[in-house]
Amino acid sequence: MGVNGNGARRVTIEGLWQRFGKQEALAGIDLDVGRGVFGLLGPNGAGKTTLLRTLATTIEPTEGALRLLGFDPHNPRERRELRRHLGYLPQALGFYPNFTVFEFVEYFALLKEMPVDSVRPAVASAIERVGLGEQATKKLKTLSGGMLRRVGIAQAIVNDPDLLLLDEPTAGLDPEQRVSFRAMLREHGSHAIVIVSTHLIEDVAAACNDVGLLEAGKLVFRGTPAELIDRGGGDDAGDSPLERGYTRVLQEARA
Amino acid sequence: MDDTALIQAVADGDHTALRELFERHASWLAVRLRRNMPPDAVEDVMQETFIAVWKSAGRYSGEGVVGAWIWGIARRQAAMWARSNNRPMPLLELAASVDIESEAVRAVDLATALAAIGPAGDEQRELIRMVYMEDRPLNEVADHLGIPAGTVKSRLFKTRRLLKSALTGGKEEL
Amino acid sequence: MNTAPHPDDPKHIASCLICQANARQEAGELGINLYRVWSGIAADVWSPEVGRLESWSRKLLRSPGLARALVTTPSLFLSWIGASAFVVLIGIIATRSSGTPWAHILAPIVAAAGIAYAYGPAIDPAFELSRSMAISDRMILIVRALAVFGLNTAFGMVASLLASAATGLTLSWLAPMTAVAALALAVASITQSPAIGVTVAIAVWSVVVLISQASTGDAGSAIGAALVPVYLVATICCAAIVLYVTSGRQEKRTTWG
Repeated sequence: MGVNGNGARRVTIEGLWQRFGKQEALAGIDLDVGRGVFGLLGPNGAGKTTLLRTLATTIEPTEGALRLLGFDPHNPRERRELRRHLGYLPQALGFYPNFTVFEFVEYFALLKEMPVDSVRPAVASAIERVGLGEQATKKLKTLSGGMLRRVGIAQAIVNDPDLLLLDEPTAGLDPEQRVSFRAMLREHGSHAIVIVSTHLIEDVAAACNDVGLLEAGKLVFRGTPAELIDRGGGDDAGDSPLERGYTRVLQEARA
Repeated sequence: MDDTALIQAVADGDHTALRELFERHASWLAVRLRRNMPPDAVEDVMQETFIAVWKSAGRYSGEGVVGAWIWGIARRQAAMWARSNNRPMPLLELAASVDIESEAVRAVDLATALAAIGPAGDEQRELIRMVYMEDRPLNEVADHLGIPAGTVKSRLFKTRRLLKSALTGGKEEL
Repeated sequence: MNTAPHPDDPKHIASCLICQANARQEAGELGINLYRVWSGIAADVWSPEVGRLESWSRKLLRSPGLARALVTTPSLFLSWIGASAFVVLIGIIATRSSGTPWAHILAPIVAAAGIAYAYGPAIDPAFELSRSMAISDRMILIVRALAVFGLNTAFGMVASLLASAATGLTLSWLAPMTAVAALALAVASITQSPAIGVTVAIAVWSVVVLISQASTGDAGSAIGAALVPVYLVATICCAAIVLYVTSGRQEKRTTWG
């Protein structure tokens, strides 16, 4: 579906800096991600949300080169085309209280310039996929937090995006919902680039084939979950091998 | 909830009831349609059928089984689909007048049965063809044959017996 | 005679989960995608058809997304329009009784409020998401602002006709109304607060009116032809500011994580 030439199926980041006034939220990120599920780990303040916002094109880089699905987001026309193939779930989504589930997802499907005849069935399909079929005509103000999160996921996947960006998507989901969510992630990862930012290690272990660890705006680890596990040792803090690897890498980065 | 309660709920605008009806009935209806139509046609017809169920649930008379009522709608939608896509009429089994729950009347070779009734152009055969194969309303059939609607009905009754006998090879008791 | 119910006997299958499951499997094997069928049905059942206004907007704007953004403008809801009409009505009455063109002194404020509250992070809880859309927030802002402005212009023309039989339809009030609305929008964009935008616009406009009153003895001279070039320049500057702020540039707010 309409992606652009070379690097059509990749996200390529070179020397990305994001400075807000004196603060350096991202300090020189180099990253190349292809199809599959990429997990972005890191403590609060590490820059995960800033990175996702940059990839979602809601903020411009202070410095650095980006190539997303083969498009250059600096170019307005390419940015618009890129956004048609993008799915984004921000950390704090916000919602329109008087819209129904259907209307909310449909609104963003329309703003993504989906072909108009495909919009309504796609919206219905997305709502079914996140298990909100029974709530489709209910107003958002009547839904629970977990349901609202799922509405957010629905709008992100409605256009079957080639690049899916999810910022802390499992917040508010119960364990059963998290399991089916991870299955959905894997399914998307089989034909798209999925980048998930999370601080829940189990999310990473279960769904991601590729992991990055951000600390203080720098990428301090890039590899598979197995490789992250290998970095950890018996005396590192953590309840699981992955957690131990995580703490060890963080420690080394801060030293 | 039983089917009758579900239809009532659908008539009141409850879309979750429609969903439940779909869960229960869509599969067997689709399989039945599939006997005489390709898969993509089946999907289109199924969609139109349930949208028609949504819109006309209020008109369900309460008589007869809900599933059979929906099947009636599906047959009409299949005929409409065939007409508007210029495809041959699907040879679906007879509905309203023949007992569709009867084992003996399954996927039927209507053409063969028609031939058994009379030669081409024979009025009885035309009558059956227009009413059962093309799902035309009785007034239209009456106009076409140049006879009053009342006459159509009584002729249909007589012809039905003949047809059923022809279809079941004389095995079914009438 | 076989008396066992057949698997697709409509009466039996309605309550037999096993037969339903078998039918589902069979349908799948026959290549029928009932999930897609349901999506098509749900699409019709879960939402009404597009209304006339929106469908007309789609043709006009040649964009279903922009049309939807337009019909969901907060300041174009009936309550807003009603309130605006009410204020203009008060203005008309005041004008007829006092001779001072109150309707056209109030019109800029009404327009400013309508436009400031058409779009922006304070109005849009899902603003971050909106900024990642193919139809940019700037396009939405422009379309909404123009629609609100058009509506207010219509109000202004009605006021002009009704307020003074002598002068009939005048259009000189259009210039200050545009300038004040543009100012509200510019300030709202910079501060990301429609409330501040409207407040500043009201304050500035009040000062202009008072100075006109003081220097010429007639508040109506604020709307006079002499000041039109000033208003035009002000409008252009404010419009430029708005375009700059909404050009997708980096937000200066810090983020957490």
